[in-house]
Amino acid sequence: MDELNNTESNTSAGQNNTDDVLVIDSLTKKFGKFTAVDNISLEVKQGEIFGFLGPNGAGKTTTIKMIAGLLQPDNGKIFINNRSLVSEPQKCKQDTGYIPDRPYLFEKLTGFEFLQFIASLYNLEPETFSRNTAHYLKLFDLEDWQHHLIESYSHGMRQKLIISSIFMLEPPLIVVDEPMVGLDPKSARIVKELFKSHALRGTAIFLSTHSLEIAEELCDRIGIILNGSLRALGNLKDLQLAARLEHSDLEEIFLELTGAYELQDIINALRSG
Amino acid sequence: MRYIFIAMKSSKRKTLLQPFLLSAKNRFFPKNKIPFRTLGVLIFSLAVCLVLYKVVVRVVTYFHSQNELGIILSLKIFQMAWITMFAMLVFSCMVSAVSTLFLSQDNEIIFAAPLAKSDIFFMRYVTTSIYTSWMMIVFSIPIFAAYGTVFKASILYWPLMLGAIISTAATATTFGMGFTVVLVNLFPAKRTKDIILYLSICFGIFIYIIFRLMRPEDLVNPDKYGHFIDYLSSLATPASPYIPAAWASNLLSYYLMDREIDILITALLVVTPLTLFFLGEWAMERWFLSGFTKSQESFGGYRSFFSRGKYKRSSLQWTFLKESKLFLRDSAEWSQLFMIAALVIVYLYNFKVLPVERSMFEEEYVTNLISFLNIGLTGFVVASLAARFVYPSIGAEGGSFYIIMSSPLSTAKYILHKYLFYVIPFTVLALILLVVSNRLLNIEGPMWWISVITGLIITWTVLAMALGFGAIYADFKAENRAAALGGIGAILFLFTAIAFEMAIIFLGGSPVYRVMRGWLRNGVMSAQDLLTLTGWILASVAISLFLALFFIRTGIRKLEASGS
Repeated sequence: MDELNNTESNTSAGQNNTDDVLVIDSLTKKFGKFTAVDNISLEVKQGEIFGFLGPNGAGKTTTIKMIAGLLQPDNGKIFINNRSLVSEPQKCKQDTGYIPDRPYLFEKLTGFEFLQFIASLYNLEPETFSRNTAHYLKLFDLEDWQHHLIESYSHGMRQKLIISSIFMLEPPLIVVDEPMVGLDPKSARIVKELFKSHALRGTAIFLSTHSLEIAEELCDRIGIILNGSLRALGNLKDLQLAARLEHSDLEEIFLELTGAYELQDIINALRSG
Repeated sequence: MRYIFIAMKSSKRKTLLQPFLLSAKNRFFPKNKIPFRTLGVLIFSLAVCLVLYKVVVRVVTYFHSQNELGIILSLKIFQMAWITMFAMLVFSCMVSAVSTLFLSQDNEIIFAAPLAKSDIFFMRYVTTSIYTSWMMIVFSIPIFAAYGTVFKASILYWPLMLGAIISTAATATTFGMGFTVVLVNLFPAKRTKDIILYLSICFGIFIYIIFRLMRPEDLVNPDKYGHFIDYLSSLATPASPYIPAAWASNLLSYYLMDREIDILITALLVVTPLTLFFLGEWAMERWFLSGFTKSQESFGGYRSFFSRGKYKRSSLQWTFLKESKLFLRDSAEWSQLFMIAALVIVYLYNFKVLPVERSMFEEEYVTNLISFLNIGLTGFVVASLAARFVYPSIGAEGGSFYIIMSSPLSTAKYILHKYLFYVIPFTVLALILLVVSNRLLNIEGPMWWISVITGLIITWTVLAMALGFGAIYADFKAENRAAALGGIGAILFLFTAIAFEMAIIFLGGSPVYRVMRGWLRNGVMSAQDLLTLTGWILASVAISLFLALFFIRTGIRKLEASGS
């Protein structure tokens, strides 16, 4: 397993493959004495959907926040389109669309005003703005609500508005933290299709999720993080080998790799109780 | 059986209070120790109480030293203090009660639990009362204690005073809570909150303007005592027997004057809060659920807005639009404009009624001196308003701040956009305060220019400092902008801004005096005096630039280091 990690993460900073949109090199973040992210290295290629899995508190959101430029790492480097996030933060952020897990928005703006605000922050072309907003608002059934205050939106509507605001920008890299939280089945399906179609057009997608179904369905490669360290990295076949669980699905692999194999004992105890 | 039921009820009430008590304990005494910060707050509060006590003792002693009218007047002020305290508590309790009873985040957990509505009312009553009245109680004690000292009251005055304060506060909060439960049944919670907010702001403005128009400065001018005879004869009557706050005032006034305790009033003070509490419990049982249901239906989702403006690729323009829309669509924010309007009117009225003709110096010297000091006063108003509006503007982005930080807009540009947004209204305000007060003082010539130029330099620097401190101490979890005012950052900002203003005024004293002396005596300014004046202005610009850049840069670094 460690070998797997090493082979996958041996890309040294500065000598990136031109296909790599996102390169993370030896990333570490500590909060006091607690190490939230410990020496993580990985890369995401153009057109690739990369799944980032791990149990609660494993360090997924901390890693994502560092990629989005919201947290400064203590060690390590992040490159987006061959540019360092430390030395060229604005250019890197221009190329990154971040969708958080909790939809905090400006409550007193309307949905349409929010989209205008985001577009102006990213200096989006007016033609692209008109074309994309109309498309995504219609796609997510937000057309009738676009001129209403966001404070009257439901959780799912807010999430759809944030997703629309990022897809509207057409960034080369999309970083998503728990994309399906609060979405109805129709919207969840649409989001999955959007990820696939954007990846086909070359967008790199870094996706953190708890849903193993989504990861299995969408992701080309998967990284499993545990206690801040990357436990395994590769496609489903690589992970099966790493977990020594050939012909198993991602759930079994995940439980094995994250040390939750005693779960079966708990289930048995619960059933007998 | 009955005892078991009562015991269960009281244990449930204890449990319900646990989150409030434990949060307070963890906040002020983490790890069961008294931290430096808590100790500092305690010492600071004690110092403020002591200063308040000394000031009130001096003022009341002054009235006493005059004649019989002075004593009546001091008791009338005593009565006004009680009524003001009562009214403020009723309003602030009602505003809080709408939030705690109907809009609180833990409502879903509490109301879904198998609890009686009376238990929930008890818990909300205790917590809301403590939140809204602790400060009023703490700071009213030195005021009313000062009366006891000046009137040389016996030992019985102190428990009577404490009891009266607690009873009046309890009456105000029980009334406020019960009335809120009924009101929310008539109007949706958010609308009720707005209505109470407007009413309390109007009440504040009313008290402020009435007090100012009474020209209290004349009360310390014995020449004008004759004008007050008629007024005071109307004051000598006791307060209305129907206002609960007047009971406390009358009870203590009788005791201070005649050393007698009115049993009827004492009984009223004991019984009223208890009766109101039980009425509140009953109102809760009767109306709460329908009010709570309405509060969840009142999100105004049916309202649409004219947001069809054409999209332009300007982050500056959109920051302006965002800030102004967020301000104008939040009633808690724009309603403050009324308060500012009242402040400006009273501020300028002060200059209109200034008794410069009574001064022993030449009027021109006095008006020019006042105009010079007015620079500092304007700066103080600007600093206070900046603490309320500009300082919390970064923290007010709340959870949405990630949108700014993850966007390609640099933090420096974001701060610059914010600065440009606030600099326009603050420049207009400072110019109104400076130019109109100069007009009222008949100031022309060099002093006019000195006051306007220095006033603007101070205003622009104070705004930059407010944003800098706001970035350094940004509280993204503050419930609203006003809540950020109580934080350490706001206090530090105010201290620093005032120290900066005082330094500029102090440094300018001598050069301005020289220039103005030459100008008023001979109508000319000597080259050397002009040079010193220019030196002072240049030094002021240099200090301002240094401070503005220093705090803004520190703020940017802090924001970038902490992210969201």
